[in-house]
Amino acid sequence: MDRVRGNPRAWALALAVGVVLADSSIVVLALPDIYRELDTTVFGVTWVLVSFNLVMALAAVPAALVARRVGPGRAAAVGLAIFAGAGLACGLSDNLTTLIIARSVQALGGALAVTASLELLPATVGSERRATMVWATAGATGAALGPAVGGILTQLVSWQSIFLIQVPIALLAAVPILTVARHEMSTRVIERELRPTGRPHLWANVALAMVSASIAAALFLLVLLLIEGWRLSPIGAAIVVSMMPLAAVVGSRLSGWVADPRARAAAGAILLAGGLGGLALLPKAEVALTLPPQALIGVGLSLVLSALTETALAGRDPQAIHGGWTISARHAGVVIGLLALTPVFTHDIAVQQKDAINAGTAVILDSPVNPLLKLDLAKKISEHLESEDGKVPNLGNVLEPLPDDEGERTEVVQLRSELQDQLDRGATHAFSPSFGIAALIGLLALIPIGLARRIDL
Amino acid sequence: MTRARILVVGALVLSLALIGVYVAAGGASYTPEKSRNPCEPRPWHENSGGLDGLAEEFTLSALDGAACQLGVTREQLARALATKENRERFSKRFHIDDERLAKAIRAGLLRAIDDAEEHGRLNAIIAAPLRVTVEHVPLEQGIELIRDARKFLNGESFLSGIGDALEELLP
Repeated sequence: MDRVRGNPRAWALALAVGVVLADSSIVVLALPDIYRELDTTVFGVTWVLVSFNLVMALAAVPAALVARRVGPGRAAAVGLAIFAGAGLACGLSDNLTTLIIARSVQALGGALAVTASLELLPATVGSERRATMVWATAGATGAALGPAVGGILTQLVSWQSIFLIQVPIALLAAVPILTVARHEMSTRVIERELRPTGRPHLWANVALAMVSASIAAALFLLVLLLIEGWRLSPIGAAIVVSMMPLAAVVGSRLSGWVADPRARAAAGAILLAGGLGGLALLPKAEVALTLPPQALIGVGLSLVLSALTETALAGRDPQAIHGGWTISARHAGVVIGLLALTPVFTHDIAVQQKDAINAGTAVILDSPVNPLLKLDLAKKISEHLESEDGKVPNLGNVLEPLPDDEGERTEVVQLRSELQDQLDRGATHAFSPSFGIAALIGLLALIPIGLARRIDL
Repeated sequence: MTRARILVVGALVLSLALIGVYVAAGGASYTPEKSRNPCEPRPWHENSGGLDGLAEEFTLSALDGAACQLGVTREQLARALATKENRERFSKRFHIDDERLAKAIRAGLLRAIDDAEEHGRLNAIIAAPLRVTVEHVPLEQGIELIRDARKFLNGESFLSGIGDALEELLP
């Protein structure tokens, strides 16, 4: 890997792939803020995520064809410039429509940059296998780091900063690539290199789509649970979900320990499903209990994404086109996962909301609080429900101001604690079916993994 | 065993262990607290003494009785009675007009008096005039009686002077 470490162009290409693929998940922790600031719905805000992934899924293969026709250096440089410009537009958006359009344009540029990078990497790092590893690792690292970075930026600066910071990073990555672009323009070497493309690796790409659906659900649902359900700050949630990229580092070490990509993919899918199963069965509303499932998910995603990408690309030519298929499969999986699970969990949250309000009222009515206070407290809950329409209710401050009488205050504080317990358990439970479905999708990915022909790399 | 097998078996063992531990810790046992059937008899707290304790139990019994008549939960009715806007929304949602609501409130209050008497918390001498009062009480005042049963039981609004006697007659 020395040819990678001391090679600024290899780093630039890895950075380009990392920053673009991080963008598919980087907004996850900012969604609650965007949701509130742009005054939209859960379904509406999901499209900030869906639009990027959908355009990436649709544009990846055509972008790879364009990259081969105009030259990967030029395509990567132009792609990064589009990505940066659209990122600027995202950061300046003041409404959901503009944001979604800018995200779509960003995905177009991103698709061009990522697929062209794969075409440039073999010449840069010395071999196709090394190029595939760098490309797959950069992509998996970006996707795993995205939510944590996004959460930290959202809390420390703003959700807009997530997009604005991508502008200099994308331009920085484009600088070493410009020399290749200039060379292509002067030599016109590209047309001579065009050759027919083979069929994509069907089962590896199907498996990639399925595990990506699972991973997207894991990130999106966990972040919503932490922020909207358990009321963590974005930075708090970022720290919690950083367990996944940390575990992904362990997973990448395991990748080198086992050569068989099918075994790595199978183990990764099992760990992913196991981790999601753990999240579906959280015994309590405690952050610490999310860490072991996240560890399994992190190791699992690292193993399965890199193994399936290697399988999909092994022995296939040209790399950019087949890389485009893997990008397309991954992002299509993310879109399917989000669109399939959003109605499930929004329905479950709505049901949970009613249950929580009824349980909360029952707790109030059965409490030893002064009877005169009870209906007043029930009224406060009711009013809060109105103001939180469509969102996971947080009744933490609903009993404020506390009564002046010390005895009554103690009773109300006790009541608040009981209410909070009901709400936390209810919110946690509301996400269980969606985590369960995501676990099942991850587990079902074992079928195409089993069908994928073993290819020794 | 090859490394590949160790990896797959290890992943399987870790996943099953995590799920097993979470299930054993109660991860699959959560069920949301369901509202109790308001038509079923409600146990009274025997340690809730004095007029305050009686008012507390009385309010809950009255809510149960009225909710049972209307076919809604006690919790839904409690929230509906909190404000006029809530009541209007409740009436619209469950197609309950003021006349039907007033009837249910009166039935709830009567049940509360019956319950109080049955549990030895209200003397028959006191219960009789209270029943007469609630049988003809208008809707707004009926709601007020549930909201502030202490005032009612103390006779401040309807049975002037009976409050002191009630305090003495309470078991």
